[in-house]
Amino acid sequence: MKTYRPLAPVPPIAGRILDAQLHLLDRQVLDNDGVPVTTVDDVELSAPEEETVIAPGTPAPIITALLTGPVLGTRIFGGRPPSSRLVRIPWKDVADVGVVVRLGVSGENLESGWVERWIRDKIIARIPGGRHDPR
Amino acid sequence: MKRVLGVALGILTAIGGFVDIGDLVTNAVVGSRFGLSLVWVVGVGVLGICLFANMSGRVAAASGRATFEVIRERLGPRAGLVNLSGSFLINLMTVTAEIGGIALALQLASSVHYLMWIPVAAVAVWLVIWRVKFSIMENVTGLLGLTLIVFAVALFLLKPDWGALAGQALAAAVPAEETASSYWYYAIALFGAAMTPYEVFFFSSGAVEEGWSIKDLIQSRIDVLVGFPLGGLLSVAIAGCAAVVLLPAGIAVTSLSQIILPVAEGAGKVGLAFVLVGLVAATFGAALETTLSSGYTLAQFFGWSWGKFRRPAQAARFHLAMIICLLIGMAVLATGVDPVLITEYSVVFSAIALPLTYLPILIVANDPQYMGEHVNGRPVNVLGMVYLVIILVASLAAIPLMIVTGAGS
Amino acid sequence: MEVPIWWGNAPSAHRRSLLVLSVAFLAFLTGCTGQSGGTWHVLSTAVGDSASAIAAARLALGLDSAGKLTTAATSTALDDALRELQASRDTVLRLTPSTPEDRAVRQETLTVLDTCAAGLTTARDAVFSGNGSPSLADGDRALKSGADSLSQLKTKVDSK
Repeated sequence: MKTYRPLAPVPPIAGRILDAQLHLLDRQVLDNDGVPVTTVDDVELSAPEEETVIAPGTPAPIITALLTGPVLGTRIFGGRPPSSRLVRIPWKDVADVGVVVRLGVSGENLESGWVERWIRDKIIARIPGGRHDPR
Repeated sequence: MKRVLGVALGILTAIGGFVDIGDLVTNAVVGSRFGLSLVWVVGVGVLGICLFANMSGRVAAASGRATFEVIRERLGPRAGLVNLSGSFLINLMTVTAEIGGIALALQLASSVHYLMWIPVAAVAVWLVIWRVKFSIMENVTGLLGLTLIVFAVALFLLKPDWGALAGQALAAAVPAEETASSYWYYAIALFGAAMTPYEVFFFSSGAVEEGWSIKDLIQSRIDVLVGFPLGGLLSVAIAGCAAVVLLPAGIAVTSLSQIILPVAEGAGKVGLAFVLVGLVAATFGAALETTLSSGYTLAQFFGWSWGKFRRPAQAARFHLAMIICLLIGMAVLATGVDPVLITEYSVVFSAIALPLTYLPILIVANDPQYMGEHVNGRPVNVLGMVYLVIILVASLAAIPLMIVTGAGS
Repeated sequence: MEVPIWWGNAPSAHRRSLLVLSVAFLAFLTGCTGQSGGTWHVLSTAVGDSASAIAAARLALGLDSAGKLTTAATSTALDDALRELQASRDTVLRLTPSTPEDRAVRQETLTVLDTCAAGLTTARDAVFSGNGSPSLADGDRALKSGADSLSQLKTKVDSK
């Protein structure tokens, strides 16, 4: 029988409290120009290795990145996608979390945008008028 | 002055854009078989679409989020994907029906077989989506669609026995030669035709396309509350024409060419010219809306960049998805399957799929996190719950009735 | 940190019985339609649909001779009528009648439908012919005789 130490009380936090499931998961991610980039599929935490003893006084884990990628299959049917399938959006790039997650950087250089860029460069931009501004 | 013009334009395009191939075919079929005895369903459907469009427009204006983004967030990936699959497939069926409708209308004008017109219609739809500004697209097809008012004019020129028509409409009863199950089957079809889910994807995404804010809501509310009921009257006129001319002649509508016969009888070749322009405009406008809707649903669910306000290169997957949808629609039509038949099925499946979009919108419209102070008021919620019951009943009854009646035959 | 929302579990007995029930319900419903699908029912539907098609063709031809319909619209209406007639004829052809009486009435229906198809062809020729032979009146006469035989047949089939 393992005995568990009672959890340390939640430290007083200044600002908003986010619920990862309610406020992050499946949220639309926009870049700094308001262009949709992807949706949030998972978050990465700075958790210690499993099976290690956590010393008292260790600071609580923090979110290090939002994860996305072609992982809808495993999210629906269960299982774990290989971590190579997950694309990281580092937390330092996140500017704001509201009804959408806003990034402070341009989506152009994000790794998560490669499918969009490939279809743009190989197909859509090659059709005449593909770069025409409708406005 | 500019504001008044804007409202007038909005109302006119809402009327002209209300009727699509589903409304045309279903109202004419029902008129030719049941007279005006199902007119009450159009009323129920119009009130429903007003409520529903208003709610999704408000969600889009208050939160800046379109329908399917919200559906994925609220339902999660699993239920969201089931919802997406259902909604998307039915929308694709509607795209196919609308393109077939354009081709059939062009055949009526030219006598060139409709299969020849299908590639022309699909390419024209794609070109407009690729190139034309959203507001111009909406206004032109909406205003040209107004020529369908010729159905109402023709009804007056036919000088029907108004008392008998009113009798059919007010004392709704199943005609002697039809069964009660066909009556209710067509009631559901008519309800699905008036409340097609694509209107909601399109309405909420259109609000984002045009960058609505809360202060634009009043105008949109007027457009919807005035335009849609008048569009509903147009539907009734289509059914009325069929009830006056085709029902006594023993013609049960199975093709687009039969739908226009009453107009020709009442208003001659001039009427015919108007109705042909109207048919092409209404089906073309609806083909644009449904094709865009298929792109909207996919892009919003998967978090892709979307919108006609962006350059195509800035919404590459969105545009590619629409191109593929148009190709699939063309391929289905190329097999020679009757577009009118596809239409008749698509309206019933729309009724079946209605709860999938209606329920999430109703939930989010009550969520202060998205809506702030603009959550549903009490009267709207009461009406919303009443419609939730109606929509669920119609959705659950549709498939058993379809089997019992052999799809209404 | 994966956040499972609805991790589904294996289908429970409850769910399985629901599935069985719904399949049984659907089978019952298909049974309802299957029963009414006999020879006479198919014939009645086919004759009714054809009568509707011929009525539409006559209406279109009448509007054409009154100058209210363009040639393109009239010919499309006639083509649609012919298509509906062919579809009805196909359902009749697929019947496998077992009694001599069924066989006879099927044969009679096919003959009437062929007369109607010939009438539609005459009407179509009338719309396109520049010299008035066959004339629109000829076309209407051919369609009217088709409609009359159909209504006689309809009475006969429906009395069964």
